[in-house]
Amino acid sequence: MAIDRETLRYLGWWLAFGVLMCLLPFVVGTGTLRILIFAHFLAMFAMSWDFLSGRTGYISFGHPFLIGIAGYTTAILSFRFDVPIYYSIPAAIVATMVGGTLFFLPALRIRGTYFALVTLAFMEILYQLTKVVAPKITGGTRGMSGLESIVTGAVNNYYLSFGIMFVTGVVLWLLIRTRLGIALSAIRMNEEAVRSTGHNTTKLKLFAFTVSAAVSGIGGAFYVHYIGSIAPRGMFEINFLFTILVAALLGGAETIIGPIMGAYFLTVLLEYLRPVMPGMERYLLYGAIALVLYVVRPEGIYSIIADAGRKVQEWRR
Amino acid sequence: MALQILIQGFVLSGLYALIAVGFTMIFSVGRVLNLAYGVYIMLGGYIYYAALQGAGLPVFASFILAILAGVTFGLLTYLLLVRRLEDNPIAVEISTLILAVVMQALIVVIFGAAPKTMWPVIRGVLRFEGISVTMNILLATGVSWVVLGGLMAFVRYTHLGRAIRAVSMDRKGAVISGIEPSFISMVTWALSGAFGAIAGVFFATFTQLDSHMWVFPLIISVAVVIVGGIGSIVGSLIAAHIIGFVETITTTMIAAELRGVSTMLLIILVLLIRPKGLFGRAEL
Repeated sequence: MAIDRETLRYLGWWLAFGVLMCLLPFVVGTGTLRILIFAHFLAMFAMSWDFLSGRTGYISFGHPFLIGIAGYTTAILSFRFDVPIYYSIPAAIVATMVGGTLFFLPALRIRGTYFALVTLAFMEILYQLTKVVAPKITGGTRGMSGLESIVTGAVNNYYLSFGIMFVTGVVLWLLIRTRLGIALSAIRMNEEAVRSTGHNTTKLKLFAFTVSAAVSGIGGAFYVHYIGSIAPRGMFEINFLFTILVAALLGGAETIIGPIMGAYFLTVLLEYLRPVMPGMERYLLYGAIALVLYVVRPEGIYSIIADAGRKVQEWRR
Repeated sequence: MALQILIQGFVLSGLYALIAVGFTMIFSVGRVLNLAYGVYIMLGGYIYYAALQGAGLPVFASFILAILAGVTFGLLTYLLLVRRLEDNPIAVEISTLILAVVMQALIVVIFGAAPKTMWPVIRGVLRFEGISVTMNILLATGVSWVVLGGLMAFVRYTHLGRAIRAVSMDRKGAVISGIEPSFISMVTWALSGAFGAIAGVFFATFTQLDSHMWVFPLIISVAVVIVGGIGSIVGSLIAAHIIGFVETITTTMIAAELRGVSTMLLIILVLLIRPKGLFGRAEL
């Protein structure tokens, strides 16, 4: 990858974003920080979804499956078998990558709608199984609570969650700017054409799946240790999938920066609506916003901002 | 044991066929998956509940109201959402999934989050050789056969029905023969809403009303489409029976908790071995 001026300019923006977010704890209270921690985890999941589905066009409705594998692996290892979290978290990430390969098998044969449905089926199976199989280990329907936390306090957790999110974001963003990333988005446009140019699409897809799974794994493992509990209901619910999807799409799929924006937007919107609308009304409102935005502007917030930026530059000229 | 499996299997399969028929119709004609289909089922159940147990209307009137709600919502989904995105099936899936979650929230806002129990459409239990089946679920199976038979006659013997089949087989050819595909789409979406609502009333009396109840019927419908393949009513009927019987056998012989797992495994297996479905046309 050639480091051109555009890449440098973008890296400057990333740096500014990083510095700004690192200074934030000196300005805002712990309540806001706790909200932002959730935004960081949501951003991880949305980026993971984006790297697979936004890039290659293989829409996954089963990302909670991957996140669930990570969460349950580290929770079971650390909670039931007293494995230190320095080992259980890496183990969870590896397990998730293996799970991502499982995901990958159907993608060899089917695509589009059918692929999305198989991933949904994977999620449902794991949901049913965690409740039934070995409830002594998984905790059954109630799950597990009182998991070990990595660091304590809002400020520390804020820096931790921001750190992993930021590093993941930059790495993924650099990755999509390489030839590899371009090949992946070519798969979305026309898989046969990519194959006919002599690229091994199977390897390319496997790469996208593994990276996506790894990001989900990191996010999922740190997430359960942050919230300290895990249960099948919250983990494998369609509402969780919906939040991830909406964050990625609302922000702008296929951009990595978009899903981060989407995650901040959604979490902050939901939190600030809480006093006005305590119950499900919030989901009604944000679902409606997402729906309208998706139909009117499928490219998401990122493209609106990018367009605005371009207009400002033209106007300055 | 064998008789119990046979009876329960047939009854459950009838209900599943009824649930899935509206979903497969949309997929056959428009080649899009309507993930908001479960909402028609939920809406049918809730409107029936509100009319019968809330407003005290008679059973028949409540049924009509539920069907009208299903038709209206089906048409609205098509006109406001799907028609704009029709050339992009994935956008349709994503937007209808979002719509489903929005409607779920709306139901909670209107009716509250607590599950509600519905009265059976007809009362009574039929006992036979130590096996008891409620009249309500028998009626559901009967209605399912009537609806499916009617639909089959409709697409075979009426002009409109043949036009629907023509669009489902070859859209361009249908246009050349003077069929207006957007009108046909509207008819299918309206019918789908009506079938969803009818199925919803029976499904809700079979389980209970809650805001999550749209997920399970949706999964069943998807499974029927995948196992049966597209474009064949008989195929989806057989698929509904395969799914119903596999589920009954798993729940009675292995473990009741594995209810959903067998269906999921069936979906994955069929997709991997025969992606076009067991009875469908060769198309993906």
